[in-house]
Amino acid sequence: MKDWIDAFYVIDFLSVGILLTALAMNGLNRLESCVKAYTTNSWLLSLLIVSVAFMIGERHLYLAGIISLATKGVIIPLFLRKIVRQIKVTHEVEPYISNALSLTISGILVAVVYASLKEGIFVTGFSRNVLQISIAVILIGLFIMITRRKAITQVIGLLFMENGLFLAGFSLTLGMPTIIELGVLFDMLMGVIILGIFAVQIRRTFASADLDRMTTLKG
Amino acid sequence: MEYAQFIIIIIFSPLVNGVIKKLKAHMQGRSGPGVLQPYYDLLRLLKKDMVISNVTTWVFRSTPYIVFLSAVAAAFIIPVITTNYTFSMLGDVIALIYIFGLARFFMALAGLDAGTAFGGEGSSREMTIAILVEPMIMLSIFTAAISAGSTNIARIAETQGMFYSPSHVLAFAAFMVAVIAETGRIPVDNPDTHLELTMVHEGMLLEYSGRYLALMEWAHYIKQMVLFTLAADIFFPVGIARDLSAAGLGLSAGLYMCKMLALVFIMALVESTRSKMRFFQLPSLLGGAFVLSVLSLLTYIMMGR
Repeated sequence: MKDWIDAFYVIDFLSVGILLTALAMNGLNRLESCVKAYTTNSWLLSLLIVSVAFMIGERHLYLAGIISLATKGVIIPLFLRKIVRQIKVTHEVEPYISNALSLTISGILVAVVYASLKEGIFVTGFSRNVLQISIAVILIGLFIMITRRKAITQVIGLLFMENGLFLAGFSLTLGMPTIIELGVLFDMLMGVIILGIFAVQIRRTFASADLDRMTTLKG
Repeated sequence: MEYAQFIIIIIFSPLVNGVIKKLKAHMQGRSGPGVLQPYYDLLRLLKKDMVISNVTTWVFRSTPYIVFLSAVAAAFIIPVITTNYTFSMLGDVIALIYIFGLARFFMALAGLDAGTAFGGEGSSREMTIAILVEPMIMLSIFTAAISAGSTNIARIAETQGMFYSPSHVLAFAAFMVAVIAETGRIPVDNPDTHLELTMVHEGMLLEYSGRYLALMEWAHYIKQMVLFTLAADIFFPVGIARDLSAAGLGLSAGLYMCKMLALVFIMALVESTRSKMRFFQLPSLLGGAFVLSVLSLLTYIMMGR
């Protein structure tokens, strides 16, 4: 099994898949597709953790992989989908910048990350590539957060950032202690639920899920 | 004799198009024309008289020959079933792309030459698409070229291994989008009809008839098969012959046929499952594919494989 993972570049494929699903977010306008992109991203992340666990034989990594699959891969996507259906908004209408431009800018972000982390990193082996990709994912998540109007897409951007952070932590330390990971996941779950409820409330109060409308709150 | 492998492309290129049409018809539940129909069409067109508008200049009359000959030249320098051939020295990827560029330039000029609205429209659209596609095709080939250490197609074909790294998969995905755009297939252009206002390739050919039309169509088939062969050479060169032994050539020819069939199947599948995009949505598709090709190059540089 170990040899197979090495021979078919499984870890490389999974990490590039994580980057691709994050990039794909920039090209998607349907909210349900955005949720799907996030789901795929989380599944690939969990698979990556499990295959690294196979390679180095650490038992607590299996646990981390399965827990992150359960929360990020199943519970959060189901909850997000429910919210998307509830607020009855299907599309991200007119994001601040066009899809082609935001794809290009994300590509540039990836290039900048690769170029700036090319030398002087102290980690070696597969972690090196994974670290670069995770930082790219964090930046893309941030970029999605600042270029989208709808509350729900901004939440998804935040979740992508979190996935990137999880991956970065994982590549640097080969898995934090289980209790910390559990704490982070639980925190995030609560965060998503609260943000989801907020999104529904915003929709109910302003008859729109557009966050720009919230500026009318003042005065 | 080995330099004669380009004849394979010239002879079988209409057949490839016929097979795509047949497969597409089957997928859509029609019976469709026979696989040899493109040959009959070409023969019929070659026999017919030509009608040439009297406002056209020499550009219009010389373009069919230039386009056809540049397609043949492209077929000349590409390894089909063996990498050991006389013209392998000339078989450079960049040269190949600019040979296509020459053909495209004259085709766009000929579209403008007759002065009809459709020709001009087709030309302007073709050039817009070309701007997006050319860098994409270059970058995705460069990913393979860097790992081979050469832009020579025969050298690339000889050095690619059996196992694929992520960068190659990304480059292949981008290259296939480029092939679809270059051959005028469905998400980009509709090859079946010249009755649409959105036509690109057909728009430029609208004024041609008879022998000239046959040459242009044939050149298009050859270009399509050259691009398929390029995809096979660069991304799946498994089993391509490196010498001129009969056994090696036979095996290589068999595998070549399988690769062509696989690519034809992909094309037919894409054409039957996608709908044509609006022209102004194209930058989104092609821009996405361009990001893919940039990413493949970056990934190769980062991961070193």
